[in-house]
Amino acid sequence: MLRPVTVQPPEVVLRTKGLVKRFGSITAVDGLDLEVRRGEVVGLLGPNGAGKSTTIGMVLGLITPTAGAAEVLGRDVRVRREDALAGVGAMLEVTSFYPYLSGRDNLAAIALLRGGGALARVDPLLARLGLAQRGGSKFRTYSLGMRQRLGIASTLLPDPALVILDEPANGLDPAGQREIRELIRELAGENRGVLLASHLLYEVEQVCDRVLVIKKGKLIASGTLAEVTRGGGSYFEIVVGDKARAAQILRGLGVKEIRETPTGLDVVAEAERGAELNRALASAGLYASALIPRASSLEDVFIELTETEATNAPAAS
Amino acid sequence: MLQLLRSEVFRMRRRWMPWIMLGLVVLAAFAVYFLIWGSTQAQIELLKSGQAQPQGAPTLEQLREALLIVSPGRVQDFGVSVVSGFGSIMLIVFAASHVGTEFGWGTFRTLLAHGAGRTGFLVSKAVSLLLYAAILMFVGTVAAIGGSYVVSSLAGLSTGSGVDVAEVARAAAKSGYTFLPYMALALAIAVWSKSAGAGIATGLVVYFAEGLVATILVSLNKDYAQIVNWGLSRNASALTRTVSSGQGGPSTPDPTASTLPDPTQAAIVLAVYCLVFLALAYGRLRSRDVTVGG
Repeated sequence: MLRPVTVQPPEVVLRTKGLVKRFGSITAVDGLDLEVRRGEVVGLLGPNGAGKSTTIGMVLGLITPTAGAAEVLGRDVRVRREDALAGVGAMLEVTSFYPYLSGRDNLAAIALLRGGGALARVDPLLARLGLAQRGGSKFRTYSLGMRQRLGIASTLLPDPALVILDEPANGLDPAGQREIRELIRELAGENRGVLLASHLLYEVEQVCDRVLVIKKGKLIASGTLAEVTRGGGSYFEIVVGDKARAAQILRGLGVKEIRETPTGLDVVAEAERGAELNRALASAGLYASALIPRASSLEDVFIELTETEATNAPAAS
Repeated sequence: MLQLLRSEVFRMRRRWMPWIMLGLVVLAAFAVYFLIWGSTQAQIELLKSGQAQPQGAPTLEQLREALLIVSPGRVQDFGVSVVSGFGSIMLIVFAASHVGTEFGWGTFRTLLAHGAGRTGFLVSKAVSLLLYAAILMFVGTVAAIGGSYVVSSLAGLSTGSGVDVAEVARAAAKSGYTFLPYMALALAIAVWSKSAGAGIATGLVVYFAEGLVATILVSLNKDYAQIVNWGLSRNASALTRTVSSGQGGPSTPDPTASTLPDPTQAAIVLAVYCLVFLALAYGRLRSRDVTVGG
């Protein structure tokens, strides 16, 4: 007899509830709720000063929240910080190691601090991050890209359930950036949760399952990439000569948002209305050289969201 | 906590600074012994040559008596004080650097992000410093003993019954104990200021100036002893029964020794200072948000 199968949702490895941080009169993070589950990569996006690093600082217990809580693997970071962080590998935006130690010894120093089997993972991790040849060189002789790689290697020493990466691709060449993207997907494939704070929207689009957009410490959009970019809508890029007349005709069809471009118009409308727009222009004797359906990229949505004053804007999902 | 201490010792062993300091204290111990022997021998030779000496110059007998200071039987007085003179300064510098560089390099933040606790950080720093102070005193004292035997042999002095190991160990332990509050002070300032330089400067200024001021005040009026006896230097002196001149080299007998505190009380006062400085450092570490650097 077949028994019903209950599918368990993936374990939540990071959860913040109403996280707030104020520095004097400045509110850096304002009531932030977020979740990261095993096996998913969550992108944390926001302009400079949005509160990404402060959020990560609170998750790691480096910064004391003014209100709210962060839980890692179900443990409150404020109450059981060391237990909670035993399952977390974190790389901070500024990668700092001991300049007088080699890359290998820096990892060994952290492995000794971590305990368990971390020491045995030092050399395999150097090899995985492409640092095996330079593992014996002093950290102070490392290039920015090598420092980033060492930082990422250090996050994997404790075999973490949650990996936090703050701008991991800083200073890496395009090939290095690609390697890091592949590595991040591998980490998720190994059933780890990954929280990725990045300015590189292309990188986020490539690797993230979900994104969170914050501005002035507030969550202004969250969801899967499809959900967030849908919030930006689809539009048509129309290359046409008489822009004013074309705009007038399209407005007659009920199109509300039309932007003038050097070659014609960008017209915000549902993707299925392409033929209707083309027919209307042609009927009026305006023949478009091109009518190209476009979907808003994450970059479009990010810029639109973060450039709009969003003090009361609801989250997209 | 033990894991953090293991990591701390691992890092300390790979740093040049502690090894250089050990080398310097060995060098200093030998150098001072050779210097004393060299300069005394030169004066003896001068006297033997029959050259006219200025009035009040030491006699041959006095010089021979003075040279006995380098004999193995006097290591607990002279040798240990030489090591203490150099060692105390080095340990103040090392304590501030050991903690302050973690903020300068931004590695304090890295350690915390990898799960280290703030309490564990401070405890592992304090324990590793204690360990290093013990090693430095041990190595320095062994070097002083070596210097004493070598110079005694060169000077043709009798080594007598040799070194009184128990007495030397007791003197070295007492001296080492008196450094601890200065090291704790340097550590606390380094934590508060997030700077090794500020810790070194404060530690050294207090080490030199406080002792000097206390000695001057008590020389002027013995009643001041009731106040300055609560300071660091007078309690340190009470334990070692000498007043540090604030420089390496032989210590001078304390002209105000009769007003020094009781040694047991001194030991307690110094311990309280250590605890207060460590508590101040701990309070600051606990309450501080760690942003970029530390």
